[in-house]
Amino acid sequence: MLGVLFLAASLIDPEPAKQQSTYALLLSYLVFASAVAIATWRNWWLDARLALPTHLVDMAMFTAIVFSINGYTSPFFLFFVLPLSAATVRWSWRETALTAGALIALYLAAAYLVAGTGTFELQRVIVRSGHLVILSLLLIWFGVHQRFTRLFFRIDEFEARLGSQDDPGEAALAFAMKVAGAPAGVLLLNRSGGDRFEGPRITGAGVMTARIDRPLVRDPAFSAFLCDVPRDRALTRQPERRARFARAAEVIDIDAARQIGLDEGLIAEVRSGTDSGWLVLWGIADLSVDYVDFGRELGRAVGAILDRHALVSAIEISAAANTRLSIARDVHDSIVQFLAGAAIRIEAIKRAAKSGRNVASELDDLKRLLVEEQDEIRGFIHALRRARELELGESVEELRGLAKRLGDQWSVACDVRARDDTASIPIRLQLDLQHLLREAVANAVRHGGADRIDVDIAVDDGVLRLSFADNGSGFDGGTRCVPQEPRSLKERVERAHGSLRLDSRPGSTTISVELPLAGTSA
Amino acid sequence: MTRVLLADDHPMIAAALEMLLNGTDYEMLGRARTGGETLAQVARLKPDLLLLDVNMPDGSGLEVLDRLNASRTRPAVILLTAGMEDHQLLNADALRPEGMVLKTSDPALLLDCMDEVSRGGVWVDPEIAERTRAARERASNAPALTKRERELVDLVRQGLRNRDIAAQLGVTEGTVKVYLHAIFEKVGVENRTELAMRAGELLAHR
Repeated sequence: MLGVLFLAASLIDPEPAKQQSTYALLLSYLVFASAVAIATWRNWWLDARLALPTHLVDMAMFTAIVFSINGYTSPFFLFFVLPLSAATVRWSWRETALTAGALIALYLAAAYLVAGTGTFELQRVIVRSGHLVILSLLLIWFGVHQRFTRLFFRIDEFEARLGSQDDPGEAALAFAMKVAGAPAGVLLLNRSGGDRFEGPRITGAGVMTARIDRPLVRDPAFSAFLCDVPRDRALTRQPERRARFARAAEVIDIDAARQIGLDEGLIAEVRSGTDSGWLVLWGIADLSVDYVDFGRELGRAVGAILDRHALVSAIEISAAANTRLSIARDVHDSIVQFLAGAAIRIEAIKRAAKSGRNVASELDDLKRLLVEEQDEIRGFIHALRRARELELGESVEELRGLAKRLGDQWSVACDVRARDDTASIPIRLQLDLQHLLREAVANAVRHGGADRIDVDIAVDDGVLRLSFADNGSGFDGGTRCVPQEPRSLKERVERAHGSLRLDSRPGSTTISVELPLAGTSA
Repeated sequence: MTRVLLADDHPMIAAALEMLLNGTDYEMLGRARTGGETLAQVARLKPDLLLLDVNMPDGSGLEVLDRLNASRTRPAVILLTAGMEDHQLLNADALRPEGMVLKTSDPALLLDCMDEVSRGGVWVDPEIAERTRAARERASNAPALTKRERELVDLVRQGLRNRDIAAQLGVTEGTVKVYLHAIFEKVGVENRTELAMRAGELLAHR
């Protein structure tokens, strides 16, 4: 549109000497602009790709226009505004400043080149340069204050850094203070119902806890507002963006404000799934009415941070509870059953001894079983005491010990191999591996009559791959899917959010298990 | 001689029971390791007495007893358990086994139980009897859940996520959330973990 406008303007330009070159220039620009418009129509990829080259062409066009048309009515100013506005919309204030600097430099360079010609007017160059500088500063200021609209980008960055152990209230307050440029603030939250509000108060002196025993804000219409306690002023913006003025004493509880140390600052309502209260920031150097809307967004952002933290905590608590239930099930399935069996054996041995039989070998057997079980329990406790993860190499060592005991118990050769034993696996998976090995060996012997079982373990792309290959009877029928798999194995694998596959043919059965490393709690 | 079939998947328990019955008036006919295997062996061996573990793969002891109750004749059944939740206790009680023994009790009690049941009597471990009475009392105080709510509580207890529960019940994930919220309110729990912990007691109440 700009190209067409200037072509038309040039056609009625009274300076014939420049017309030929100006036509050519404007026609080329018109063709270029039309081609770009057609190419980028509903093509966001090309639009983004061509942004910088188009920007450079616009700036070159500006320089050429300054050269070719320098009369009083020349439309070069619009050509200056075009790339500068484009930079402001597309990028940050830094790119706007760079563009403005480059355009002013080009303008002055062009002016210098045409200096001394008949049409050159120094005064006009100075006035126009001043206009360019003022417009540039305006757009750079606009770019700088885009922080108000870019708040939520920063929340994502912030949440990525926030650890689950950090105090969410303190972290959210520190975040709000940072983005608002406030040296001090307090986050007052009501968690238990009633009128008691408390939370972190951060000032230059450090972090303390602030408490008030009554609501800070009296008027619910003031969800985000500026407040000046000594001058008794409060200012908010209504939904239609009209300013609403009030006396501070009518909007807030002055005693509560003094209690938290507020003189002049920004107050914004905070609501999360479990808490509600106010974010109060003071000492903001350039406090203005723009901060009312910003404060409203900031209050929502703080609520979002609190919600996000609550969600992460709930997930962790749930994972820990699942782990506890799983450990309880493991203890019940193995240790409790073993001890019950041992007690029955002792009763049997006692009765046999009473009837005069020699029970020495039975006692030896029981002793051996107790020692073996003791080793397993020790391994189980060791695994529970460890950090959240252990190296696969360590895990494999423990599994080899278990494989040997199972081999003795079931009279089979059981061999455990591992690839990439430097990978780490969660403790929960280690306990699962032990049980899967027990169940796989028992199944292979009971149902297939196997006398050799090869166990292969590998970690690959965040997945632990496990295979049990036995030389049991197997069955004909190719590959079967999950519903027909050994139920005990399948249930355990499903609890660990994994998958199981069984391939069998006469003389060989392989069970392949995949368990995700992530999503299992330690 | 009383002919006994043992149904228990744990090798230590099975070996110990075989040893305990060795030299007594009980003849061990064999051992089944799953629910399906138990039913097949009962049909084939026709034992006088079945020692039946409650927790077995491929059909629990309670499911096996339920199936046996439906047939014309069945052996006397002694349920063996290392611990049951409230709803299992009440289900077991309703299925009327001749004997119930805790594996963790004194093993001499098992022989007492077998003797009593062989004579045609009924013998229930005192601890199980007490737990059943308490479970019945808790169940009578618990709020009644609808059939759909009971299904949902059972799936939560199994550790299923909302998406999986929705798929199983053939409803949307949003519906599951609404149901869950209603159940939380009804039984006075804060979250699904608490609900899973109380599931046994809630499901015991019919």
